[in-house]
Amino acid sequence: MDHPGLERPATDLRAENEHLHAENERLRVCVAALEVELVEVQARTNAAVARWQERAYWLDRWHVDLNALMRRPGASEFRALLRAVRSVGRTYKQLKRNLESR
Amino acid sequence: MKSVSAVIPVKDGERYLEELLDALAREGVEEVLVIDSGSRDRSLSIARAAGAQLLEIAPHEFSHGRTRNLGAERTSGELICFLTQDATPCPGWLSAYRKAFALDERIGAAYGPHLPRPDTSPMIARELTEFFAGFSPDGQPAIQRAGDPTFLSNVNACYARPCWEEIRFRDVAYSEDQAFGADLLDGGWAKVYHPGAAVLHAHDYGTLEFMRRYFDEYRGLHESTGHVEPFGVLATVRHVRHAAVADRHWMAEQGLDRGARARWTARSVAHHTGRRVFSALGSRSERVPAQLQRRLSLENRSEAAVPTDHARNGGQPSSEPLQEKAHVDAAASSTSVLPPARRIEQKLSGEVYDVAAQVWKDGPAPLLDPVPGMAERERLRLAMVIPPFSRGSGGHNTLFQIFSRLERRGHACSVWLADYYGYARAVWPAVLRHDINEFFAPFQGPVYKDFDSWQGADVAIATGWQTVHAMLQLGHCRARAYVVNDHEPEFYPASAEHVLAAETYRHDMYCIAASPWLRDLLIERYDTQAEAFQLGVDHETYHPRPVSRRTNTVIYYARYATPRRAVPIGLMALAELHRRRPDVRIVLFGTDEVLDASFPYEHIDVLSPTQLSWLYSEATVGLCLSLTNFSLMPKEMLACGLPCVELAGVSAESIFGAGSPLELAPLDTQRIADALERLLEDREHWSQRSREGIEFVASHTWDRATDEVEAGLRHALRQREAAAGRALVR
Repeated sequence: MDHPGLERPATDLRAENEHLHAENERLRVCVAALEVELVEVQARTNAAVARWQERAYWLDRWHVDLNALMRRPGASEFRALLRAVRSVGRTYKQLKRNLESR
Repeated sequence: MKSVSAVIPVKDGERYLEELLDALAREGVEEVLVIDSGSRDRSLSIARAAGAQLLEIAPHEFSHGRTRNLGAERTSGELICFLTQDATPCPGWLSAYRKAFALDERIGAAYGPHLPRPDTSPMIARELTEFFAGFSPDGQPAIQRAGDPTFLSNVNACYARPCWEEIRFRDVAYSEDQAFGADLLDGGWAKVYHPGAAVLHAHDYGTLEFMRRYFDEYRGLHESTGHVEPFGVLATVRHVRHAAVADRHWMAEQGLDRGARARWTARSVAHHTGRRVFSALGSRSERVPAQLQRRLSLENRSEAAVPTDHARNGGQPSSEPLQEKAHVDAAASSTSVLPPARRIEQKLSGEVYDVAAQVWKDGPAPLLDPVPGMAERERLRLAMVIPPFSRGSGGHNTLFQIFSRLERRGHACSVWLADYYGYARAVWPAVLRHDINEFFAPFQGPVYKDFDSWQGADVAIATGWQTVHAMLQLGHCRARAYVVNDHEPEFYPASAEHVLAAETYRHDMYCIAASPWLRDLLIERYDTQAEAFQLGVDHETYHPRPVSRRTNTVIYYARYATPRRAVPIGLMALAELHRRRPDVRIVLFGTDEVLDASFPYEHIDVLSPTQLSWLYSEATVGLCLSLTNFSLMPKEMLACGLPCVELAGVSAESIFGAGSPLELAPLDTQRIADALERLLEDREHWSQRSREGIEFVASHTWDRATDEVEAGLRHALRQREAAAGRALVR
């Protein structure tokens, strides 16, 4: 088919073809690397979730949802009370230790 | 605009009558007729003061249908409203009725909700609200025609005069409104539930008063319809718990403080328990001594009679939704030969197999475009969807023996539970994961209970028919595969489950079948693509143990709860063996159910793998029958040097070939007994079978099974690549 002005030398086409081929290969390598990374990320996510499931076993066994529990009215006050009691205990122990060391 | 009349039967109704008549005046009702049947309180003077027409009748002349017909005859409005003496119309009530009748020219009647008064208990308020909300979930007027609920309540209803003239209230002792509702629909009229036509109606009573009212109500229902309220202790406990929880939610929604919630919860439990007990007692009143009946009855009535709720409620018609429901029952009985129908509340958020219906409707989720070379990548993202399990589940053991090995090979593996029936509802994910490790094989990955956290996968793997539809809805997958442990449609008789299970093989998934027999069946019957893997044996556990081999012991895997094990046939074969060789010791194992048999035997419950290996190592002959795909058990017996009798002509030949180390027998009790007897008597034959068995299964390992399954998963990915390639060429 004659298209005046559109003819391109064979060397140009060959070069473009090689360029596309190289680009294609580069993209393949890139996709493969991303795929490997995706599996890595998935494996790490799986490991993290599994680790937390391991730690949450007894909570799940006893159907304790700590987040829900702490959202209940009075929970933060109870926690604050516990902290206060513990700090009193710590202070008492510290004082006792100080007195004993003198 | 149509003229409106209101008719109110009254007896000792002073408590709310004035408020009611004021509301009618406010709403613009032109004509009000009060029919009094012997009030001894201020009802008459209140009616006169309000300017209502007054018609006095003797108490014995009162009847629900007859008196209301009388009221309709004595009034002239084109619309006739009937109210009870304790129902106060809310603002907009009449306007709503007018709108209801404008919806269609064949509207014969309309009714509206009964709202709780401020002093109504949360139990009654919740029930009332939920009951009426059921007629109009979107809060819009609902037209009801033939086939719709017949419910109609003269506590608060309005009738078109032509409709009333055509049908009229029946002269029935009970539920004239319900009978009218049914007759109206049968006669080609329609009725309307309009949420705006509300009245304040219910109010609170003491707990004991409620109980006695329920006794009367159900005694009346029994007398007029024969209804007997079912009663069971466990059902009552479940009902009370369910109702009390619903009441608590309601109270929380209404903003009751914690103290009030606690008080009303206690009363809710008493209320619902009392209702169940007293309604059951009332509907069995003929068995209750007369003196006790009098004490239980609010009417102080000790003997059976045809009741009227006018009498029962001291002149005040019914108020509780329970009674409305009772009316529905009564109406059904009075208009039909059918037994009374019960309205059952919604219990589930969806039907059990909604997920399958969704796939049928929308099709599977689209798969991701394939990536060149994905099938050959060293590590894959694998997500296995499993059905619920319990300890000893053979299919799950197979799955996790393989999946744990795939994980050890470096694949990123996760497990997802598809639980159609909610079997594992009470089991949280960390516990599921722990159980998998304890029951089957070490698995390091996460276990999810639903698909909210779905992250996609290179291959999503279905593992049972109950998992397929859920898995087909999951997006972001490159390929899907189906590990088929057995031909599951055969687990069911003709049923929805049978059809659904068969349908799972027709979704163009690559099947990895647990035997060549199963692979061939899938290809031939379902025209699916399939490959087979061989079940492995854990040789570390299953090997001959250092124990002396008995010479007269037959052990039988008698798992009666699994029909495909053909246990009745196995028992008949053993009975025949016992007849021939009464000296042979027979041991049944693999079930905690002690079976009745026509021969003496020893029973061992479900054993651990290690215990099984010892049992196989000391027994003389094993018996295991498989009507569908081959069980793993015979292989494990062979690995322990125990010759085993299995069924011929099903799946065993596809695994063991022509020179099978198994003793195969057709499904014939005599022939099975022959095979057992030969192995017991012919020592040389026994030794040969034992030796051949150990040699044969030596190469059947879980590592090999994992190789085969992994090849299948990669094949599923390769197919996707090939399909994409073909699409590009086209």
